[in-house]
Amino acid sequence: MTLDTRPDELLGPAEEESPFEEQLTPSEWVRAHLFSGPFDTAVTFVFVAVFALAGYWLVRYLTQSDFTILRVNLTNLMVGRFPREQIWRPAVALMLAGGAIGLAGGLIRANARDRAEESGLDYESSGPLSVLRRFWPVAAFILLVLLLAGTPTPWLVVGATLASGVLFMFAGRAIPGSARRWAWPAVAGLLIGSYLIMIGGGVGYDAWGGLYLNIFLTVAGIALAFPLGLLLALGRRSSLPALKISSITYIEFIRGVPLITLLLLGAFALGFFLPDALQPSRTTRILIAIAMFEAAYIAEVVRGGFAAVPKGQVEAAQAVGLSPWKQTRLIVLPQALRATIPAMVGQFISLFKDTTLVVVVALTDILGMSQNANAQPEFFGQGLHRVTLPFVALAFWVGSYTMSREARRLERRLGVGER
Amino acid sequence: MTNIDYADATHAKGEPIIVLDSVDKFFGDFQALKDINIRVGRQEVVVVIGPSGSGKSTLIRCINRLEKHDRGTIVVDGVELSDDIKNIQEVRRETGMVFQSFNLFPHLTVLDNITLAPRQVRRTPKAEAEASAMDLLKRVKIPEQAHKYPGQLSGGQQQRVAIARALAMQPKVMLFDEPTSALDPEMIKEVLDAMEVLAESGMTMIVVTHEMGFARAVADRVVFMADGQIVEVGPPEHFFTDPQEDRTKLFLSQIL
Repeated sequence: MTLDTRPDELLGPAEEESPFEEQLTPSEWVRAHLFSGPFDTAVTFVFVAVFALAGYWLVRYLTQSDFTILRVNLTNLMVGRFPREQIWRPAVALMLAGGAIGLAGGLIRANARDRAEESGLDYESSGPLSVLRRFWPVAAFILLVLLLAGTPTPWLVVGATLASGVLFMFAGRAIPGSARRWAWPAVAGLLIGSYLIMIGGGVGYDAWGGLYLNIFLTVAGIALAFPLGLLLALGRRSSLPALKISSITYIEFIRGVPLITLLLLGAFALGFFLPDALQPSRTTRILIAIAMFEAAYIAEVVRGGFAAVPKGQVEAAQAVGLSPWKQTRLIVLPQALRATIPAMVGQFISLFKDTTLVVVVALTDILGMSQNANAQPEFFGQGLHRVTLPFVALAFWVGSYTMSREARRLERRLGVGER
Repeated sequence: MTNIDYADATHAKGEPIIVLDSVDKFFGDFQALKDINIRVGRQEVVVVIGPSGSGKSTLIRCINRLEKHDRGTIVVDGVELSDDIKNIQEVRRETGMVFQSFNLFPHLTVLDNITLAPRQVRRTPKAEAEASAMDLLKRVKIPEQAHKYPGQLSGGQQQRVAIARALAMQPKVMLFDEPTSALDPEMIKEVLDAMEVLAESGMTMIVVTHEMGFARAVADRVVFMADGQIVEVGPPEHFFTDPQEDRTKLFLSQIL
């Protein structure tokens, strides 16, 4: 009998501490865990040596490398060749996006608090410290960038974004339960506003680059691919043969083609299939290719989720008289999507990393920019890839690791695998 | 074996609300139901017993079309079950079902589990649906659990929520598919008590169960099934003390 599993889920991770380990003194712990036998001792020494060597290399790398190439190219790495006289646009766009994230966070938190109160559970309020604990890699990366920049403007931009995020978060928390659903369009509005600022002033998509491009392609790719993938997954389950066959054909075709091929198709061949009046920009064509690719994978992930919903759930939904569509929408889909969170986030992480493939179609994302920086006269031929590539790697690691942590948190809170 | 008079005085409680006529059901080559004929009167409580694999569950699952019967006719409250989805939906609206494994919706609170169908199918306003859900929870004696999730409840509590969920559609018939088989012994009574109260209120019920005490105390008629057939039907006082068929005697000797 599983009684009261919810509180843990709502409160976050349950620290599973064995009472025995708590009573150990530090020296006892060391003896018990590191030197409890000849083999353990040997393993401990080998790993201490390996860690020491790695630490030495890291320190040598950090002290002996010249990071000027990053300092000089920081703006390039963040927003690519975005026209410098329009550089306020990414800054304002960032503030609006920060506001959207803050508002969404505030709304989600307020909902969680209300639900916890309704079911008579404690809701542990999470202060700024716990937010920092959740997002420390992002915070550390931003701090690193700020320190590298060494000029006041980036500090101002980050400060303003934080302020906007915090402001909107408190606004989101203050909105009463009944009005909360009407605040979600405001979140979308802020994001759309951020996007409009970026394409305004005649800049257009093709000027986008750097880390901004990677993030945009990931977020917009997910936003477009998720609904499409959901429809494909539903289509694959459909009893209408035409729908079923076209869904399966689409999914199996796209899954059998490398993303890089689709990107090249998008960049160089998509225009051929479209009328002259409708010739989207290169970035849009790439986004379409990415969304089409992701949708097929998301459809398969969702299909796995459908399989995870017990048959009894559908029977219960039928027995109370729900129509087939409502059985799917209200009973099967919510449970299926919960079951897919781990696989779905894995998919999103791999999409984030795959956005670097746009270099093959001459878009300059953060990776492309780091290559360009090495071709600049003052840095050319000095082997500075060893400075730029770790920075790019760090940027992707921060994003991917944060997504994966947040997904695990979400899983715990929704109680995946705990029913 | 099948020369029993189904129209005998054992269901004198009213005109029939459920009529099964020569119903056959196959799973592949296996015949799960063989020539089932039974009528259930309004406000009657019929308990179906029999060894596992005898077709008891299949029988009641055919009544709300969770299984499709292959031959014969099933009529529920004047509506004959056919492939027409409208007929099926109509029958399901009038038929509540309680499952062995509860099948509560784990992503919804207890209250939402109960109000979902009335709001979605009957278009009952939220406040009204919630008020009657709370009444139902009081009837099954767990109003304090309304805002919890099914995973937070004990098995007995979950099954009582499942009963409340089925009742929320104000069905004319309730089907119970081994409602206590998945429960720990100490929780069986609370569920049976809730079912007994329901029977006393005049609900038409078909109950598949192994709880012979419940059958004796609550049933108007006991139906004994074996190998997909109805072997014997009778009021509990005759059925348990004076069974007619050898198969029934054997079964009763094994379980009593």
